[in-house]
Parts: sequence; structure tokens; C-alpha cells
Amino acid sequence: MEMILKKDRLGEWAAKLRGSAEVFAPVFADDSWNFCKVEPGAELTFDHGNTVRPAKGFVFPQREVLYRFRQESGEAPQLTPTLPADGPAVVFGVRPCDGRAMVRNDKVFTCGFADPYYQARRDRVVFVGLACNAPPSPNCFCLSVGGSPHAGDGLDVLMTELDGRYHVKALTAKGKEIAGIAEALFDKAGAADSSEVEKVHAAARSHPQRSIAAMEKVAEGLKRNFDSPQWDTLAQACIGCGACTYLCPSCHCFDINDEVSSHSPLAGERVRTWDNCQFPEFTMHTSGHNPRNTTGARLRQRICHKLLYFVENHNIQQCTGCGRCISHCPVGIDIVRVANVMEEAAGQ
Amino acid sequence: MNKVPEAVETRNDKNEVQDFEPKVVAFLCKWCSSAGSDLAGVSRLQYPPNAVPIQVMCSGSVSPMYIMSAFNKGADGVLVSGCHPGDCHYLKGNFYARRRIYLVQKLLKFIGLEPERFRMSWVSAAEGVKYAEVVTDFVKDLKALGPQRKLKAKV
Amino acid sequence: MVAIEDIRARAKELLESGKVRSVLGYRRGTASVLAEPAFVTAPEDTAALVLDATCVENLALYLVNEKKRQKTQRSQDTRPLAVVAKGCDGRAITVLLQENYIKRDEVVILGVSCENGGMIDTHKLSRALRGKAATGAAFDGNGGIKVAFTAGETTVPAAEVLAARCLECTKAYPLVSDYFFGDKIDERSYSPRFTAVSAIAEKSPEERSAFWAGHFERCIRCYACRAVCPMCYCDECVVDSTSFIVNPTTSADEKACRIRWIQRSASPSENAMYHMVRAIHLAGRCTDCGECERVCPVNIPLRLLNTMLEREALEMFEYAPGLDPEQPSLISSFRDGDPNDFIR
Repeated sequence: MEMILKKDRLGEWAAKLRGSAEVFAPVFADDSWNFCKVEPGAELTFDHGNTVRPAKGFVFPQREVLYRFRQESGEAPQLTPTLPADGPAVVFGVRPCDGRAMVRNDKVFTCGFADPYYQARRDRVVFVGLACNAPPSPNCFCLSVGGSPHAGDGLDVLMTELDGRYHVKALTAKGKEIAGIAEALFDKAGAADSSEVEKVHAAARSHPQRSIAAMEKVAEGLKRNFDSPQWDTLAQACIGCGACTYLCPSCHCFDINDEVSSHSPLAGERVRTWDNCQFPEFTMHTSGHNPRNTTGARLRQRICHKLLYFVENHNIQQCTGCGRCISHCPVGIDIVRVANVMEEAAGQ
Repeated sequence: MNKVPEAVETRNDKNEVQDFEPKVVAFLCKWCSSAGSDLAGVSRLQYPPNAVPIQVMCSGSVSPMYIMSAFNKGADGVLVSGCHPGDCHYLKGNFYARRRIYLVQKLLKFIGLEPERFRMSWVSAAEGVKYAEVVTDFVKDLKALGPQRKLKAKV
Repeated sequence: MVAIEDIRARAKELLESGKVRSVLGYRRGTASVLAEPAFVTAPEDTAALVLDATCVENLALYLVNEKKRQKTQRSQDTRPLAVVAKGCDGRAITVLLQENYIKRDEVVILGVSCENGGMIDTHKLSRALRGKAATGAAFDGNGGIKVAFTAGETTVPAAEVLAARCLECTKAYPLVSDYFFGDKIDERSYSPRFTAVSAIAEKSPEERSAFWAGHFERCIRCYACRAVCPMCYCDECVVDSTSFIVNPTTSADEKACRIRWIQRSASPSENAMYHMVRAIHLAGRCTDCGECERVCPVNIPLRLLNTMLEREALEMFEYAPGLDPEQPSLISSFRDGDPNDFIR
């Protein structure tokens, strides 16, 4: 289902959607772009490059209550499940790299065992993607990891910016539904529109990006160089802040803690929070031994997880090339540089 | 983000509306202020029972964590009380406390907590009357301020 | 003028003579507009050292990290580290010396003066470019900063892009150093010290409360602020509570009731606790390098918390951190004249 939406009608589409869902879009606030709720009457424009925080927060929040518990003395504990009850949400301006990362997250959270909390949120959110006519960031490298500036995986709708208008393509049933809500705003896409989209997409693909030469050689290099002292050199500046992991659209490790608010009666919540393999205590054992007690070991873990282990387990790259970890690392650690170093080391 | 709705009135465990009774956590140094509070009791002085006394060895051993944690767990007011300057059982502990508590107070105020919720006093072992006065005034002021919500953990 | 060739030459000499085991400096990075930390061990690599307005990192952090790393490594190369230090960085090193975390003979300080006006602030840069990534930034010699980004280049007035701490800096060079490069500039004519924090302190309590509540709500507890701070060197932070001793006889009740000062999850009250605890632990120790604020992925103005206490320390106790390795720490010293009026 391909349609055309004139640029000045984008706000009207959002307004129509607001009747039945919360609408989010990239907003520039506190000096950075992030997905925020769009207030009625607010202008909706897409000059955001990419957001700092990825779209994963909509399906996998930083803090999530799994259930509440309460136990009166002498009685059995009462558990109250707290499945997400948020209403539907529509998120505009999601880049293809975040959409593809959603496919990776779906593999982790819904295949094998369907995580009900993740699933509940995933079912309720609609991702409206925006193709990248030019790389949003100087650190983009989606093409190197099997992605593209106009990929639709994981997205429900894909918009492409054309001259004075957007080409809008619904990719899933949810996508068709939200387009259908505002049917009157759209025009049908004609042959001329389709050919302009082709041209724009082709130009986007040929735009220079950062590049990792050969991913299979990278995987080979990672396998062979597990014990290499290179890792300590590459991670020497690492401060263990975890920004790379928290801002990554496909990183998904979590911790679960009980937060007790009262002892008598015993009451509290079981809470799931994001966890971070770059934190020094991530692999701390209760004995006090920490198998990954150096930044080199932790960096190696993250890179291998993204470019080797996930590939071995699921046959796809976990990294989608958004470049956030590179742009926001306070000390300039660069996954593209690391991958290229490992690729060169593959032959040795 | 889960937003807990603000309570308009205070309710007890049985969900009945009641007059607000502030909870005060009082860190009292063993050698002076705690003894002073004991004296108030032994002298049968009447004063509000809202303060939970926690005996510490010296006001200088009161870590800012105790104070912040008390507010985090729901205290409406926190009192730190020690020996008068020059009388510290450990000679200098209360001088360190004086400096540290000053900084904690400024920090709490900067974050937006009402400054009247956090107090410090010098109460000697002989000043049972003063201790009763300090607590009485504190509870009176806290009643006017209402429950502390800014730092309380919302579960 | 700070001549980078002089720094490179000195670094090369120190490495060639074997006096130091490594030189910590700055070099151009591939990731962003900022310079990245360089750990130079080969004399010829000193040619890559740079010093400009993008050298924002506080390299004192790596004195701490290298010291911790040495504990887990087998080689015991005990030669000192040389480190390039700006004013704020040098003061941080002095605090580490004062607290005996490092000994004076474990570090060779290459002091540099921030003559040109200081370091850029990435958040301000982002604001000026409306979120676009800068690929280059340099002083244009005319009170402006030339900023390059993917679609072109523009010039912005320096005051708009320089870090607030640099605009307020009163001593743009380290007092303690082994070698010194540049001229000692005391004050810059931008704005008085503590301008930023005064603006917040003057708000009403309700405004301040809303201001901080809004910021703490965004905190994702990534602990980047703690990780980047040279003063946060505790092996175990009070926030983590991981080394609670558990043995076979520890009961379930004891495990459940262990002290947990601050919950793991990122809720506004816990975030506020964490930031306040960190701020009070830095009282009299923070030298305002601004790194905590820079690395925060959600742009919380953390500097304000620390500089507020720094202002109190200066105004009330006449104490400024990092001036002299022999000075006592703020909280383990006192004067007879310390304020007493707030105590009943």
C-alpha cells in the first residue's frame, strides 16, 4: 500500500492518530534529539539525524515492574502481576537501523519463550520509519552490516522524504491501520512517485559511510584473537560508563531485583532494569571472582556478542550500524575501528 | 514512566483519614544528646512522641547517607544532635559534624527540599528540657509543612 | 603560546630516556569532533599528540585507572606516568596526591595553559548545530570557533560554544607541574566564577525542586558520571552494595534484609539519592573538570551540584580543592570559625 502525503499534512496525520494513541516523534530538547510525546499543535519536522536514545525504550523500558508481592505474617505471599497496560503508541521518525534492531530484539524476547512484558508493549507500538536520504550521522555504517538506509524490517510503515512530500508505504497490518485512520489525507502514489523513490534510495545507498570491509573476516578475526593483548590496548581509554550499551538499539541485557518497601507486612516489587556488560561488576561472582575484570575483556565481550556470537546463534549481525556507540563514547572507542583491526588480524 | 498519584490527605493502614503526624528520625550522639533525651524521659517531660531516636557514637560519625536515606525512606524531618562544641567525648567529632552537616543542609536545600525539614542541635546530657523543646518545635513546624514527598521513594 | 612541538619533544625525550613508562596525552580520534586519550609508549608516536579546544578529557582519570589496572596485571613496571594536564586536570591530580591515592614520584605532570580560552562544550555545540554532529572545531583567532559538520562549516562566537566551566575559570593552568608549557593566564574576561550555579540557587525552592525533579527523571543510571570522575575511585561504590559477605550459613532473611542504600532501578527518588550521595562525596574534592556533565547521555547539568558545594566550601570555609598537595581535605578539617548559627 503506497501513498503520498504532502509535507504540510504530516501534523494532521499525527493529530488524527492522537485520538486513539500516544504519538511520539523526535524532538530537540536539552540539546539533543530524542523521541518525545508530540503535544497537540506542535510542529512535526524530521531534521533529527538520529535520536540519542534508541527506539528500544518503547518495548524494553529502563525500569519495569514485573509483579508486586505482599505477605502478611503466617500467610502465603500474594503476587500481583503488573503486565504493561499502556495504550497504543505511534512513533514517528524511526531510522531503518532502529527498525532492524527491533527484529533482533524480537528474536531474543519472543522466540523460544515469549516474554509477556515485551510482547505486550511490542503489540501496542507502531513504528513509523523514515528512510535516510543521507547518513544521519558521520558514524553510520548500516551497509556494512547487511542493512540499508531504506530497509523496512522491524518497521510498520516506511516514509521516504521526496520533494515537498513523503512517500508512505505500509509494511504490516498495524501500519495499514494507522494509515487507514487518516485515509483522506493521502494521495495514491503514481509511477512518477515510485521512480523518484527508487532514485532517492539508490542515491542514499551510494552515499559514503564508514565501512567495515568483510564481516566474515571480522568474525574469523574475533574468533582467532580472543586472547590477543590487542584488546587491552583498544580498551585502554574505556571508562566503563556503559553509554555504548545503553544507547545501542539491540543491546538487551537486564537485571532483576526485589525492591522491598516494607518488612512487616513484607511488601515490594520485583523490578527488571537494564544491565550493562561494560559495568565492572557485570560478571562479578558472589565468591568475589570476576572473570571479566578488565576493560579489554569487557570490550571484547561486547564486540564479539555483536559481530560473532549473535551471528553464530541467529545467522544475522546483531549490530545494525547506527553509530551511536561511536558518537557517544566519551573517549572515542570505535566499533568500526575495532572491527577493522580484527579483520586485519584474521589472517594471523 | 509510572506516576504515583499524590495523596491529598494522609491515611493510616486502615485507609482512614487522619491528622498528619510527622515522622522524625533523630540521630543522637550517645554521650550527650542521647543521654539528654533519656533525661527528658526520666523527668517525665511531656513532648510529642514523633521522633525515632537512633543512637550514634558521635555526631561526627553521622554519615550524609544516613540523613539522605532517612528522607528516602519517608522521614518527614531529620534531626542530628550532638555535644556542644568543645565538649565532644571524642574531642573533635562534633567540629567535623558541624562542617559536614552544613554541606548536607546546603545540598538538600539546593535540590529543593524544604530547609526546615533538616535540623541540627547541640544538646548536652543535662539538657533534657532543651531536647524536649527541640523536638516539640520541630514537630510543630513539620505539621505545617505536611508530608515529605520530594525525596521519598515512590513504590 | 602553547607550542605543541614542545610538548611532543618533551614527551619523546621522556620516553626515549626511559624515565616514564607511558605518556598520557591527546590525539585525533575517529569517533567524534573531540580528541581522544592517547597512551603513548613508543617515542615516534608522540608525533600524533595534539592540544586544542577539543581536548576536553580529564586525563587524571587514567592515573587512577592505570593504578587499578596494575593490581590485576603481572608486570610491575613501577616507572611514573607522564600526563598532559590542563588547569582543572592538574588540580584533580593534586587532589589525588593530597589524598595519597598516588605518590608524587608516580606521576610526571606536563602542565599546559589553556591560553586560547578553553575547551568546547559538546552540548553547547549540539545546541548551536541543532543536533547535527560536528566533525571539526577550532579557534579562528578572532573570538570565534570555526565548526565543521557534514553539510559544511560555520563560525560561532566562542562564548556560545566554550564550556561554562572554562568561561568561569579563574586559573587556567595547573599549579603543580614538572614541566610547563605556555603562559600562566589567571582570569578570562568571560564571566565570574559560579555564574551558572548562582542562577539556579536564586530560583525559588519550588522552581528548583521542579528543575531537579525533571532532570533526575531522565537519569538512566548508566553511572557514566561516576566512571569518568577521577575522584570516584572507590573500589566499591555505596550504590552497588555487591560485596555483602554471603557464606553457607547466611540466612535468607539476612540476605533479604541487607542494607541497600539505593535501589538499582532508575526511579526519580533513587536517582536523586544517587546524585546527592555522589555530590556530597565530592565536596571539597571536585575540581570542576566538567566531564561528568559532558558524558551524561541524557544531558543532566551535573556540574551544578558539584560547583554549588564548591562555592559553599570557598565562601564559608575559604577552601578551594587542588591547590596544594599538602592541604587537608575539606571534610577532615575544621576551623573554630565554622558556621554555627544553623545549629540550635
